[in-house]
Amino acid sequence: MSSPDPLLPHEQPLRPRTDLLTGAFFALFGLTILYLAWRMPTYADQKGEIYTAPGLVPAFYGTVIALLALWLVGRSIRRGALQPDGGGGVPPAREGYSNVRLALSAALGLFFVFVLLGHMPFWASSALFIFLFITLFEWRSEQTWPQRLRPLAIAAAIGLGTGIAVTLVFERIFYVRLP
Amino acid sequence: MFDSLSQFGAAFGTFMTPSVLVNVFWAMFVGIVIGALPGLTATMGVALMTTLTFSMPHTEAIMVLVCVYVGAIYGGSRSAILLNIPGTPASACSTLDGFPLARQGMAGRAMGISTSGSWLGTLFGTLCVATMTPLLSEMALSFQSYEFFWISVLGVVIAGSLAGGDALKGYIAGFLGLLVATVGQEPHYNFQRFAYGNTDIAGGIGLLPALVGVFGVAEVLLAMRAPAYQAVYSKIDSIIPRIADVTKYWRTIFRSGAIGTFIGILPGLGEDAAAWSSYAAAKRASKEKEKFGKGSVEGLMAAETGEASSVPGAIIPVMTLALPGSAPAAVLMAAMMIHGLNPGPMLMVETPQFFYQIVAMLVIADMVKLFFGFVLVRPLLWVLLVPRERLMPIVFVLCAVGAFSITSRVFDIYIMLIFGLIGFILRELKFPMAPLILGLVLGDLLEKNLTRGFVISGGDPTPFLTRPVSAVLAAITILSILWSIPAAQTAMRRGTRALFRRKPATG
Repeated sequence: MSSPDPLLPHEQPLRPRTDLLTGAFFALFGLTILYLAWRMPTYADQKGEIYTAPGLVPAFYGTVIALLALWLVGRSIRRGALQPDGGGGVPPAREGYSNVRLALSAALGLFFVFVLLGHMPFWASSALFIFLFITLFEWRSEQTWPQRLRPLAIAAAIGLGTGIAVTLVFERIFYVRLP
Repeated sequence: MFDSLSQFGAAFGTFMTPSVLVNVFWAMFVGIVIGALPGLTATMGVALMTTLTFSMPHTEAIMVLVCVYVGAIYGGSRSAILLNIPGTPASACSTLDGFPLARQGMAGRAMGISTSGSWLGTLFGTLCVATMTPLLSEMALSFQSYEFFWISVLGVVIAGSLAGGDALKGYIAGFLGLLVATVGQEPHYNFQRFAYGNTDIAGGIGLLPALVGVFGVAEVLLAMRAPAYQAVYSKIDSIIPRIADVTKYWRTIFRSGAIGTFIGILPGLGEDAAAWSSYAAAKRASKEKEKFGKGSVEGLMAAETGEASSVPGAIIPVMTLALPGSAPAAVLMAAMMIHGLNPGPMLMVETPQFFYQIVAMLVIADMVKLFFGFVLVRPLLWVLLVPRERLMPIVFVLCAVGAFSITSRVFDIYIMLIFGLIGFILRELKFPMAPLILGLVLGDLLEKNLTRGFVISGGDPTPFLTRPVSAVLAAITILSILWSIPAAQTAMRRGTRALFRRKPATG
């Protein structure tokens, strides 16, 4: 049997240095939680017992996260995180993966939530968001304007169709409130 | 016996109304489409559809969600067979033999095997739900806070160590989930933890917005960053399942059904672990090992039966212990709570009819899945041709609606965004998501039982370790943690071997 590679491209192992930084972050995070939990009141003046103190459980979780994170730090150092190449050399570029597409998606999502939602009816805000999303991702600079008309019309139709359908289905049929 | 049968009959009768059946059909269709589309998972589907069910009676609402869950796990195999891309993580195993079969011109046969295996798997698992749930539930009724505390801890630990990937990161993710669940007012003094005067945070982090963020928004970001999928295999032969494929591999079907259900019951492991374990067991026992990975009918049947049987399996601990067997089951459990049900051992006491209804739901969902397995071949091909640039903004809009609608707070949309970002970063750093979800869902249960246990014992921690079931659960938890440490695992293996090795005869 030709053994298939069980790892998808995004599942390739990380460099130990990345684990070191991740561990250091979570160790600091766990200790911060422990400190904040320590500062919470114990209600001893109201005859509160230590096991009902509001900070007890978060303090426990903070401690465990810090300890596990330190374990991660130790493990990454054993695997060579402190070596000049970070223990694994330069990771190979992921073919086809694009941070520009990621950033554009995130920016459009934020634009939808913070600019569009609540400032116009839901059907209009979702239609505009979907239209912009599709248009920007399907934009080809080499296309002429007449060539762009069809994709623009499709994007507008999908946007309007979704906005109206979601409003009708959620608000009118299932009585769900929309943002 | 006759009483149980009449109860089952009544439960089926509940769902035999035109309006419920319409809901069943559209929910199954939506579930299969969600499962088939790479980037959309069963967990996300159940979380998004929870929104739609707010105004429904609880039986109808859970019926819709069960259909989406069952459908999404099945739908994932379509893209696995036709695109060589698993529609959901659960169907990754189906690509191994499904896609080679499609390349050999047998895409229709592969889909037939997938349909029959999945149908039989869910049926087998449902039979286990019907027989095991009352027994487990009765046992769980004797549990007290001490046992429930350990069950919650064990859930997070097992999900961390066995959910796939790095166990250490799994534990961190699990405890992060537990920590997030502590945000907001605590139960004893109504102290607002980590709120700092913000009334929205004082209300706590909503489970659904967080889940929609982790599984919806993060998926949108991951899908948009990844390369586009291409080439649908559009040459389809007959999709009617062959009786010979079922009768020839009946042992594989039973074995995979049992393995899948068992893995489903284990907290947080989910359908992907069930599929891989069933596949590995089938390969070990097969007389045609060499065909595995090259288009083996037996391999595909094992993977499909295993993943489908784990769906009912994952619901068993939800109903008996309030402990979800998988990430979608965790969302289903959250939906049950939203609809006023009380998952756990009291479910059988407070709403005994719901147990019969769940069995009826699974059987009905399985039958409708079989129906769609035959009729949804061509329409699914068209769905798979929809570019992600057109699909993902729609998903994002649905995520925003899902996060907002439960309490109508814009704050919940911000929570969705924050958790989407957290989910994306954690996945990039190889943190498994199942323990995080289990931590979020079990956090409240864990804290309440820990403090209640201390209150009952007057601050004495010994009952947590000395009561028989508590002691066993504590031991399993500790052993699970030790097992994930390579050095400790080696020592434990050596110790076990030494224990069972016979001493050489002397003299």
